Amino acid sequence: MTANATEARTDGAAVRLTALSHRYSCGRVALDALSFALAPGECAALVGPNGAGKTTLFLRLCGVLAGKPGQATVGALDPAVPEHRRKLPEVVGVVFQNPDDQLFSPTVEEDVAFGPLNAGASPTEAKARAAEALASVGLPNASARVPFQLSGGEKRRAALAGVLAMRPQVLLLDEPSMFLDPRGRRELIAVIRALPGTKLIATHDLDLVLDLAPRVLVLDAGKLAADGPARELLADAALMEHHGLEVPYRLR
Amino acid sequence: MSLAYRHRPVPPSPVARWDARWKLAAVALACGAVAALHQPLPSVLALALGLALVALARLPREWVLARLALFGIAALPFLLVLPFTLGGDGWYVGPVFVSERGLSVGAAVACRGLAVGCFALVLLGTTPVHHTIAAAHELRVPGVLVLLALLAYRYTFLLAEELRRVWIALRTRGFRMRATRHGYRTLAHASGALLVRGTDRAEAVSAAMRTRGFDGTFHTLSTFRTTAADILGFLALAVCAAALVTWDRL
Repeated sequence: MTANATEARTDGAAVRLTALSHRYSCGRVALDALSFALAPGECAALVGPNGAGKTTLFLRLCGVLAGKPGQATVGALDPAVPEHRRKLPEVVGVVFQNPDDQLFSPTVEEDVAFGPLNAGASPTEAKARAAEALASVGLPNASARVPFQLSGGEKRRAALAGVLAMRPQVLLLDEPSMFLDPRGRRELIAVIRALPGTKLIATHDLDLVLDLAPRVLVLDAGKLAADGPARELLADAALMEHHGLEVPYRLR
Repeated sequence: MSLAYRHRPVPPSPVARWDARWKLAAVALACGAVAALHQPLPSVLALALGLALVALARLPREWVLARLALFGIAALPFLLVLPFTLGGDGWYVGPVFVSERGLSVGAAVACRGLAVGCFALVLLGTTPVHHTIAAAHELRVPGVLVLLALLAYRYTFLLAEELRRVWIALRTRGFRMRATRHGYRTLAHASGALLVRGTDRAEAVSAAMRTRGFDGTFHTLSTFRTTAADILGFLALAVCAAALVTWDRL
C-alpha cells in the first residue's frame, strides 16, 4: 500500500491493525506491533493498566497522532494517509475520557452540531442531526442547555451525541464510565448497547465490559497480551493479576 | 457575582431585538468614540448616553450595578491620583494642593470608563455571548480570533472551577493565605499546577476538535436577519458618537 492510495485494503474488517507501532518523540514506545481486527458491528473492550497504550491507540486510529501508513485501517481509510485523515471524522468517532475536553461550545446543540458543520452540512441539516443524536442518547430537551452545567452523566451522553451526529461507522470510547454515579453508568450502558456500528471501549471498569463487550483485548506495555471472549479472559485470575487488573466482582 | 457559565435570560427590549451584527458594530464604534474623548462635558454626556442605553435595554439593576462597579474601581486610581498630581488652578486643603484640572480630567476618565462599561454591558446583557461572537465573525473578524474568543470564554469558567477546587484542597489541608514566603510559594505552585492543567486541557480539546473534522474554519448555528430598525439603531448610535467626538474637538 502506498501513501497515495485512495482507499485502504480492509478485507471486510471495520478496523484492522497490522503490526501497528507508535513511538513518542521522547523515545517511549507506546504501541508495539499490535495486530488485530474488528468485524463490522462488533463490540470489543480494550483493557489494561495505566500507560498500556489504550489512549495512544485511539489517537492513532482517529488520525490525531501521525504514524506510518499501512499499519492500520478504519473502514476503508488509513489514518496515517493525509488524504484519508480528512474523511476520518465521518468514519470513526472518539468519545474522550473527560467530557469537559469535548464539550467546548456554548450550548449543547452547538456542540453536537460542531462535527456536521465541519463536514459541510448546512445549519438546518446540522441542527436536525444534532436533534437526532441528542434523542438517541436520551437528551432530547438539552439543546439550549450550557454543557458546563450538565451533570456528569449528561455531559458524557452529550459528548457521545456530538460524536454520533457524525454518524461514524466505528466508535471508540475511552473510559466511558469514569466520573459516573451508578444511575449515570446504567443509563450510559443502555445507550451504548443500543448504538449500531463497531465499538471499541477502553476501560478499567471490567463490570462494564461484561455488560457490553463479548470480546476483550488485553493491552500491556503497548503489546497485545490476550484476545478472546470476555467472560473467559476476565475470569482468568493469573492473567488479570499479571496485567495489573482484577477479576470482576461478578466473576469471583 | 457568580462565575457560573450560564445564559442569563435576556429581558425583552428593543435593544435585545437589535440584530447582533449591527449592535456589535454600533457598540464598537461608540466605545471607540468614547475612548477618543478628552473634554469633561462630552465625557459626561457619553456616560449619560450609555446609561440611557442600559435603561432602554431593561437590564436588571443589580446585575448592571455589580458589573459597573468593576469599571468604577478600574477608573478610581485616576480620580484619586490626578487631582493631586496635575498642576494649574486649584485649592489647598490643609497642606495638600488639589488641582482643578486634575479633578476634571480624573472625572472625565471615570465617566468615559463607566460609559464604555455601559456599552459593554448592553452588548453582554442583551445577546448571548456566543451569538455576539458569531456576529463578530459575520463582520469579518478572522475565524481564528473568533474561535479563540469562544474557547477562552468557555474555558475561563472551567479554569475558575478548577481554581476553586485547588483552593478548597489547600484550605482542607490547613492553608490560609498570609503574606509569608510559604503563602506566596503555595500560591505560585497552585498557579503553576493550573497552567499545566490548562496546557493539558488545550491539547485534549484540540484532539477532540480534530477528531470531529475541525480544520480551523469557524461554523455556527447562529442566524441573523437585518431589518430597517437595526440599521436605524446603528445610525442613531453612530451619529451620537460622531457628534460627541466633534463637540469634544471644537
